[in-house]
Amino acid sequence: MTSYQKSEIAELIDGKLPWHKTKAMMSAHKDDTRFDTYIAVFQDRVAWDDPILLPIGENLFIVQGADGRVVKCSCGQEYGSYKQNWKLKAHIRVRDDAQSLGEIYPGRHMCDPEWMEIREFICPGCARLLEVEAAPPGFPIVFDFEPDLETFYRDWLGKPMPERAEV
Amino acid sequence: MTVTDTASPHTTSAHPSLLDQLLESERVMRETGHYAGLDRLSLREADPLAYEGLHTKLRSMVVSARELARRISASPGVREVGESVVALYTPEGDAIALSTGIMVHVHTASRFIKWMIQNGYEEDPKIRPGDIFANNDAFIGTVQAPDVIDVMPIHHGDELIGWVAAVAHELEVGGITPGGDVALAQERYTEGLFVCAEKVGENDELRRDYLIRLERNLRMPIYWVLDEKAKVAACLEVREAVKALIDDIGLDYYKQATREFIEEGRRSQLARVQQLTVPGTYRGHTFFGHVTEGKQGVLPLGNRNWLYAIPLEMDITPEGRLALDFDGTNSWGYHSMNCTPAGMDGGLFVTLTQHMNFDGKVNDGAWMATDMNLPEGTWTNPGREDVATATSWALLLPAFGLFQRLLSRGFLGRGFQEEVFVGQVNSPMIEMGGESQYGDRFGIALFECAAAGSGALAIKDGIDTGYVGWNPESDMGNMEVWEQDMPMLYLGRSISADSGGSGQYRGGTGFESVWTVANTPQLIIATSEHSSRVFDNAGMCGGYPAPTVQLHHAVHDAGISERGRRGEPLPHRIGNDPHESDIHRYTDGETHVIEGPYLAEPLRSGDVFSHSYNGGGGYGDVLDRDPGSVARDLANGYVTRDSARNVYGVVVDQTTGDTVVDAEATQARRDEIREERRTKSMPVSEWIASSRSRIAEQELAPEVREMYRDSMALSERFAGEFREFWSLPADFVFAEREGR
Repeated sequence: MTSYQKSEIAELIDGKLPWHKTKAMMSAHKDDTRFDTYIAVFQDRVAWDDPILLPIGENLFIVQGADGRVVKCSCGQEYGSYKQNWKLKAHIRVRDDAQSLGEIYPGRHMCDPEWMEIREFICPGCARLLEVEAAPPGFPIVFDFEPDLETFYRDWLGKPMPERAEV
Repeated sequence: MTVTDTASPHTTSAHPSLLDQLLESERVMRETGHYAGLDRLSLREADPLAYEGLHTKLRSMVVSARELARRISASPGVREVGESVVALYTPEGDAIALSTGIMVHVHTASRFIKWMIQNGYEEDPKIRPGDIFANNDAFIGTVQAPDVIDVMPIHHGDELIGWVAAVAHELEVGGITPGGDVALAQERYTEGLFVCAEKVGENDELRRDYLIRLERNLRMPIYWVLDEKAKVAACLEVREAVKALIDDIGLDYYKQATREFIEEGRRSQLARVQQLTVPGTYRGHTFFGHVTEGKQGVLPLGNRNWLYAIPLEMDITPEGRLALDFDGTNSWGYHSMNCTPAGMDGGLFVTLTQHMNFDGKVNDGAWMATDMNLPEGTWTNPGREDVATATSWALLLPAFGLFQRLLSRGFLGRGFQEEVFVGQVNSPMIEMGGESQYGDRFGIALFECAAAGSGALAIKDGIDTGYVGWNPESDMGNMEVWEQDMPMLYLGRSISADSGGSGQYRGGTGFESVWTVANTPQLIIATSEHSSRVFDNAGMCGGYPAPTVQLHHAVHDAGISERGRRGEPLPHRIGNDPHESDIHRYTDGETHVIEGPYLAEPLRSGDVFSHSYNGGGGYGDVLDRDPGSVARDLANGYVTRDSARNVYGVVVDQTTGDTVVDAEATQARRDEIREERRTKSMPVSEWIASSRSRIAEQELAPEVREMYRDSMALSERFAGEFREFWSLPADFVFAEREGR
């Protein structure tokens, strides 16, 4: 059965696993312990104690918080229940004119601001760019992912969902 | 598998008819949930080595047959770029094993075979040993007219025990504009030569009257005709090999094992989903702009601009099924970008084979573990069979690039970051015809597009100039080979700086080509599959989309020879300056910059033309990108100095001849970008409140308004969600587009 050291998964997450190992990982049968190792790497790295239930983006996690399961940035910024779209509690910068679009897409690379705007969802805590949407003006903000956590833990992982440690 | 007692009266041998077999197969699947009712893989359990050995043999047969075909073809599309595939099917038309190549067509050929069975081909025109059937009708089973599929039955005695199919993408189909992807087609009747599940050969020979039809209706018949011969050779090779194999292992074993392969493929797909992803609901969108209003040659039916929304919701069920729902997307239209359910099946199949079922039993089992909702009346399922599908990849590729991103969100959640992929992109086509450098009429699709940039991965940059979704063996072909087949000479073929979406991991870059037209009085060019005004891809997890709004630069009487004689610079690329192209800078004539499909007056010797291919979307926050990687990209021409500084916040020193990161200046610039993010952003709730009136007042571009009006009319769910998001009244609708 394939398995990897925690340090190897940490290197993978950081994009630092040597290519020959990465390629072998891509080609090999997948390791059953990956999820637990993956979570453990992140849990070691964050400064908070809420158990991570599921990563849903770079630096964005669903955690078991004091007030239930919430979306949380690695910096500690919280976005409310994972059943709600975390983007609605983020900050947004909308590039919808030639000047602001031109900073990223100058000249002939630019989309038409009348047809498409670039929406940057920014963490109010750490100013990290968490997600970018490219959409025509007016297109509702997308709720990217609503996981079925109960089925995932109970039926797919075969274990209870992590609980908060008693204070 | 048992046979029902409702045998068709048309059965002429001791064996049940194909129609009965197909109906029985569908019933058994429906009632048992298992392919062929197989609740156990008994041959696999009894002797896994023999079982796996057979699968390996079948796969090697189809792979070697495809290589054989490539060496018979005259088409650089098939020979150089590998635009072909060979696959083996059950009698009911389910794929058992497939070669490398354009795997998208494996399932479309399934549709073609099933269509013949469902439409009484056993009775008329009959299905006999040695028959050759061909199809390029997307409503029967293919993606678009240039994807011509040949199938031949495999008989054992008087029993049909399977089919072999070979597909080649034709470089010329005789449509209203030259080439394979007929850009200007607005209805079926302008798409070129159709072969509709036609018996085109008997006794292992192509019919002469069929070949005559090809010769008289195509601009460049040598491609299609020799591809036909290549495909028939491949089919014969597989057929004879399968028959020899059956002599060796026995027919019963072959039948049982091949069905077990498919059931195993189905189970593997479900298990793979459970292993690699997370159950739940995934959503995303992409868009495509088609600017054709007022262009030369555009017929009155389609004389307008189009903006397509492609929202996708995917459920991953507790069982591990993938259910894709395209509810909310837009209507079909009088353009060439519509798709059929067969084409959508193909898009799904080729994506699954690359991201979930790339090992083990790659066959139709994977497709059986998925569901798709393709709302009737939309481009995904027009509901009428006279619409054009000649460039259906235009919308199909963005749609399934989006599917890749949704799947990747699952991979990311589960920890398999090495599988996370921002997705495929369109790679715009250039098609041409007119008079060749040899003085003949000609037509060709310049298939160097089969090597775009890929989306980024979660752990590394995307593939530069080496990936397209439809063919995992992507290859742009050598310039010298293309030059043999068209009256243009390359002035250059170059990486396009800044064409990959920015991010912690950069999207793969696209490339651009510049040609001088040579030795022809008339070169007709038509391009397709490039979005205008909107990016038809996206980034992921903070990465930016790739800039895919490609323009064409054409210069009449560019003075290349004269400039050469004078020793002046020539344009070898569009160049790094986004505000002024090298084409404009280094030619003598007026540069025409064309948005949307290039449909303009023919070119001739002495003119210059350029075309760009897309890069892929980026992954992660640009400020998390290693500054050294940005410097390396700058040194190698993948990004510009401006982009390094403005987007990535990386300042470099190139005064010594090397490209060295200025760490202090980089830190300062990145701090500045972070500060800009804080000062120039606002809470989303405030943005929604401040933007609402614009939406309520419908102060949007006409194409944007029309896109919303159409989606809301087609989808109650979309309409409800739109009104709810913007707090609009229940009766809010967008106004009809003005004009008839």
